Amino acid sequence: MGIIKMIILGLFIVFNIEARPISYSGGTTLMFKSDNVSNSVYLHYSPTYKYSIGIEKVKNKFYDNNKNYLRLTYLLNRKNTFTSQRNLYFQSGVMPNNTENIFYGVHGDWETRKLFIGFGIKDIQSKYGMDYKDEYLQLGFAPYVGDYNDLHTWIMLKTKKNTLTNKASTYPELKFFKGNALMKFGYGANTNWDLHFMYRF
Amino acid sequence: MKKILLISLFSGTILVAEPDHEGMHGHSHEGHLHETMVDGKNLNVSAERFDKFMEELTEVNIAIVSVKGMVCDFCARGISKTFLKDKDVEKIDVDLDNGKVLIAFSKSKEIVYAEIEKKILSNGQNMSDLQILEI
Repeated sequence: MGIIKMIILGLFIVFNIEARPISYSGGTTLMFKSDNVSNSVYLHYSPTYKYSIGIEKVKNKFYDNNKNYLRLTYLLNRKNTFTSQRNLYFQSGVMPNNTENIFYGVHGDWETRKLFIGFGIKDIQSKYGMDYKDEYLQLGFAPYVGDYNDLHTWIMLKTKKNTLTNKASTYPELKFFKGNALMKFGYGANTNWDLHFMYRF
Repeated sequence: MKKILLISLFSGTILVAEPDHEGMHGHSHEGHLHETMVDGKNLNVSAERFDKFMEELTEVNIAIVSVKGMVCDFCARGISKTFLKDKDVEKIDVDLDNGKVLIAFSKSKEIVYAEIEKKILSNGQNMSDLQILEI
């Protein structure tokens, strides 16, 4: 077993042991994502604001296969100010019945009420050599500043690249959220639709 | 003469300070709620918002919590959810513009700084200040 796989499995064990009582009530999230490479459904639960554990079902369109991951996302760093929040996360996933299928990466963001910058790098490894890397950069602004409970809108620009197609693609996205629901729609000529729906319970 | 002057100054201070302390409700001005507390701290809460929050509320203590990192509606959801689990919380409002959370507690509830700080932190934000208004 490789060092990275051992670290990921180790993190699962460590964080589950250290799980504290839940004081945050909004800790369960359901997500659906779809882009030119995959469709996925992901359910995660956050025992604390520091990490979440979850399960994800991914259909890879490129390799035409399905994978079920046990996932862990850990907040590596957060900086809160009165006008901004900056985050850096470690993300990982492992197939419980085949630990050679894993992914890991980092993603981060910096956000004010009007501006957003985000990035992500992910390395997906597979038993049968169907490995690839995925990376993105996102910039966004809010055309208006909404109040709590309002409909919030973001206009974004996303650049992404993966080693399956080796082509970078840049396209606009629209993000809406209200209450516990979030929707994001992106469309690029090369990548078609990039969709993301999220609901927090 | 000195004594009279000191007594006058002292009385004047109380007269100026007391309305601020006792009766925040109904004392709002255009723009912001009675800007300065007795301790000299700036409340920086929208008057209109405060008045709306106070509608139908009586006999409560209001905690005005200053929060760092509360930059988006979606991120602040957990704050409402967490506090509303407390049966002593009668109402809550999140003011994203000013980074404030207004919480109306029943009179019987003792408002403890550390308790509120912990709940804010559990949502991933940091509390920087807490002011309590007795209504």
